[in-house]
Amino acid sequence: MIGMAREQRLAEIFVEVADSLVEDFDVIDLLQRLSTRCVELLDVSAAGILLVDAHGELQIIAASDEHARLLELFALQHDQGPCVECYRTGTARTNIDLTRPETAAAWPHFADRARETGYVTTHALPLRLRNRVVGALNLFQSAPHRLGDADIALAQALADVATIAILQQRTLEQSHIENSQLATALTSRILIEQVKGVLAERWNTSVDDAFAAFRSYARAHQLRLADLATRIIAGGFDTASIPAPASAAETTPAPAPAPAAPEDHTR
Amino acid sequence: MADVLRSLRLGGRGDPARACALALGAEGVALSLLVGNGRTAEPLWCHPEVSARFEELQFTLGEGPGPDAVRTGSPVMEPDLDRVRPDRWPALLPPARDLGVHGVCCFPLGIGAIRVGVLTVLCDGDRTMSVQQSADATALAAALTGALLNGDGRGQWGEDGNGNGDRGGSGNGGPVLGLFLDRPTGLHRAAVHQATGMISVQLGVTMEEALLRLRARAYGSERPLGEVADDVVARRLRFNDNDASGNGDGFDDDMNGPYSPGDGKG
Repeated sequence: MIGMAREQRLAEIFVEVADSLVEDFDVIDLLQRLSTRCVELLDVSAAGILLVDAHGELQIIAASDEHARLLELFALQHDQGPCVECYRTGTARTNIDLTRPETAAAWPHFADRARETGYVTTHALPLRLRNRVVGALNLFQSAPHRLGDADIALAQALADVATIAILQQRTLEQSHIENSQLATALTSRILIEQVKGVLAERWNTSVDDAFAAFRSYARAHQLRLADLATRIIAGGFDTASIPAPASAAETTPAPAPAPAAPEDHTR
Repeated sequence: MADVLRSLRLGGRGDPARACALALGAEGVALSLLVGNGRTAEPLWCHPEVSARFEELQFTLGEGPGPDAVRTGSPVMEPDLDRVRPDRWPALLPPARDLGVHGVCCFPLGIGAIRVGVLTVLCDGDRTMSVQQSADATALAAALTGALLNGDGRGQWGEDGNGNGDRGGSGNGGPVLGLFLDRPTGLHRAAVHQATGMISVQLGVTMEEALLRLRARAYGSERPLGEVADDVVARRLRFNDNDASGNGDGFDDDMNGPYSPGDGKG
């Protein structure tokens, strides 16, 4: 995307984010949208946002897509990779060539996995709040083209928006709230992984398809992903009212036990 | 704080609540576990007396930062109770003030939908909580979550002669296992939480038990947790009630309650 078209799109995205921030918004959903916007605006292949947890390790909070192989790349960075360095130093690491031996030597697991997944370049930008770093924005490219200074500045702006979204509201004197907001965001993310499993099992479908159906339902009904997940897991929500993914069509709505899973007595 | 965490890990003697209160620079600290299928809060340790009384008060009344933290899974930070809207916790605030409680911050212990307990920190007369204090308390809550998921609640703090045996040992419906010594590893993997959700449906059990069964399977087969989770997500491995793995069967006696996620609604 070039020139005016991109600037126009950028302005729209900032308006979209500003609009979402005023109400009692869904932080996970917003960060997920932001990740897809990064892909669109920066012309990269994938983007993810990682947050530091109570153990000082980075955890994925949202990604431009939820495929297992991509989530795994983020998960590997709990102890190695460009995001860990970016988090520790507080500075951006950009245009990292995954095919270079130095990269493989620095982060053997990460570099191998990233290349296997088809990526050749990666970037990590810090999520900064005043003098603190709370996470990183991670970008991957499957085609080799350098991000220029303007692109990097834009990526950092998107990372800053993500930080604002996570640590929204509140005044300076209540800065202790920041830790609890980080904790809440991380808890929400795990809840969503758990509910993916619950729905995938009920529908006999993949976790990716289960998530797609879950998210469209939440968006269509303006429910927060974490709230809906909590209700489903607590048994307080009839999941039959969520349109199941097409891949599950044969086994889902059956009032009788589905043939594919006769040992499942929970329906 | 690091010393406190180390001593918890080593099962050090002495009063952990007192050590935590000192390390956090807090007026008091209380740890309650959620027990049984009704998930009632049971105090495990408290220091000093006022925190025990506050804990009892909020969980008897069923309102306050502790019950809110348990319900929402998010920390509730009210370092100055005078600034709390009176109608937020109408029954709790007047007696809390009489107890001399200035402010309270509560940190839920759990992983996603799994809730194992809550850490209550009483703030001192400054009625503030610094960034450092809340970071320390969050780290402590995470360490305690790991320890409780490992079943250390009874073995370490209940029966080591520090006088708390009557509190930790009875009616604890949570997992009690000496099997796992370190904090759970592999929890950064999405597949572990996805597999937990799948197993909870396969077995009709809580997330907490599902995670325990998954970890037991990994432990029993001497494989990394993430690898076993991948098998579950890829449907190469299924858990069912006739689970012959051995390790999955020894500790579910007091947890097979009527609960099952989405019972009858799926």
